[in-house]
Amino acid sequence: MNDDRGNEHPEAAARPDAETRPAARAISVGAVLRNGRPAESGASPSLIFDVQGLRAFYGSFQAVADTTMQIREHEITALIGPSGCGKTTVLRCFNRMNDLIETARVEGVVRYHGVDIYGEKVDPVEVRRRIGMVFQKPNPFPKSIYDNIAFGPRIAGFKGNLDDLVEESLTRAALWDEVKDKLKQSAYALSGGQQQRLCIARAIATSPDVLLMDEPCASLDPIATLRIEELMIELKRDYSIIIVTHNMQQAARVSDRTAFFTVDVKETGMRTGRLVEFDATEVIFTRPHQKQTEDYITGRFG
Amino acid sequence: MTDDRIPHSEIRHRFDAELDGIKHASVALGSLVLENAGRLTEALLESRVDLAQEVIDADDPVDRAYIDLERRVFRVIALQQPVASDLRFLISIIRVAHEIERSGDLVVNCAKGIYRQQGFHLNSQMQGVLARLCRAALDLFGSSIESLAALDPGAGHRLDQEDDVVDALVGEFYTLLANESEGMHVDTAIELSRVGRYMERIADHAVNIGEHIGFIVTGIFPRHGEFDEGGSA
Repeated sequence: MNDDRGNEHPEAAARPDAETRPAARAISVGAVLRNGRPAESGASPSLIFDVQGLRAFYGSFQAVADTTMQIREHEITALIGPSGCGKTTVLRCFNRMNDLIETARVEGVVRYHGVDIYGEKVDPVEVRRRIGMVFQKPNPFPKSIYDNIAFGPRIAGFKGNLDDLVEESLTRAALWDEVKDKLKQSAYALSGGQQQRLCIARAIATSPDVLLMDEPCASLDPIATLRIEELMIELKRDYSIIIVTHNMQQAARVSDRTAFFTVDVKETGMRTGRLVEFDATEVIFTRPHQKQTEDYITGRFG
Repeated sequence: MTDDRIPHSEIRHRFDAELDGIKHASVALGSLVLENAGRLTEALLESRVDLAQEVIDADDPVDRAYIDLERRVFRVIALQQPVASDLRFLISIIRVAHEIERSGDLVVNCAKGIYRQQGFHLNSQMQGVLARLCRAALDLFGSSIESLAALDPGAGHRLDQEDDVVDALVGEFYTLLANESEGMHVDTAIELSRVGRYMERIADHAVNIGEHIGFIVTGIFPRHGEFDEGGSA
């Protein structure tokens, strides 16, 4: 089901996973929120994630060193840094996608709306419904455009009008006008940029409040890239977005806050990612506090 | 496979809106200075020390607007990686803003002269020449701000020609001042000669603004052409 990088087949992300769903007494994140359990102390109303002491391992290999950061609601947060700095690993911690890698282990706390998503009774499937993900290579299902959007809600037992939901999702992803007359056509007939917007629409259809994007424009041409960037800025009205990007200029263009990660290489040769600086994007790109940040964004190192 | 290509302006409309905002802010900066210059002219010709003080006080908003504009341009350059005409525009706006801000300082310098002299109390002949000089210099400045709003590529050449009128009026003013200066306190004569100089420089700043506008539109800076031997490096 998973490729070598641990990327889950997108259908699995939408399908209830019997192996990982806890027993009947399990409490979903949604239930905790619906029960009105107060946010844990220290959580600010404007935060969507509060990460404390996050460490990630693949077996004995530590991919990410102690990381503490707060992600704000209705902002675009960019994670940048050289290859191997752990930014994708950190991104995948936000929706427990690393659970799907057998050797992966996460320590520390990742609070989402005040609830630690790695808590014992938290349902990771519910987590992934609320925290959607868009991958580097557009990966529409081998289905029609319509069914790409409808699949997830159907599985989740959506009882409302699917046609309306499909239209709303495609509209929010700025794709509706281009596909409204060919919803039954295969998603594979769309261009790369359109497929990626379809994937965003698919992620939106399950009503998340967070969108995680792992280098969403890496395989797109410059115009399609700019369209996705404009879309992201519109989407942050309704969602909080965290994006991993190799393209630091993209981070500068779209994000409100930027986190710069670097790679520390130990004597043993182990390469561990570490958060160096996290600040308003304007600060990072005009007067960063850390020399390592300055060296990276000016291209002197990386 | 459907085509993703659409016109550039439909994609980066936020960036375009930011550029428009910067242009409006630079025109607004120019308007602030022009407004203060109008106040100065009245103070100068009617020996209004109270108005001169108002001119001096009105410089703070100009400085704040200038700094704000520069920060805005700096931010856009850092975050949006502009190239080509966008880059020329932003770099030129920094230069134009500086020309405007310096013009604002010159207006204030004139007002300080009025304040120090407690009004110049000029005879009608001196007043007449000074009035024409101020009007010509400030009309030229106003024209440069209008050209900025319209991004008129011909502004540089046109303003350069109109500057000849200002230069001629400055000459006329200095000739008259030389004739009248015997009956004046020496510091009054010195202050008046400064006013003439400041008006001349305001007009020069207006010409420079016109040249920067030309560079925005054409990518060619007129004075650089003097050193171009017909081939690029």
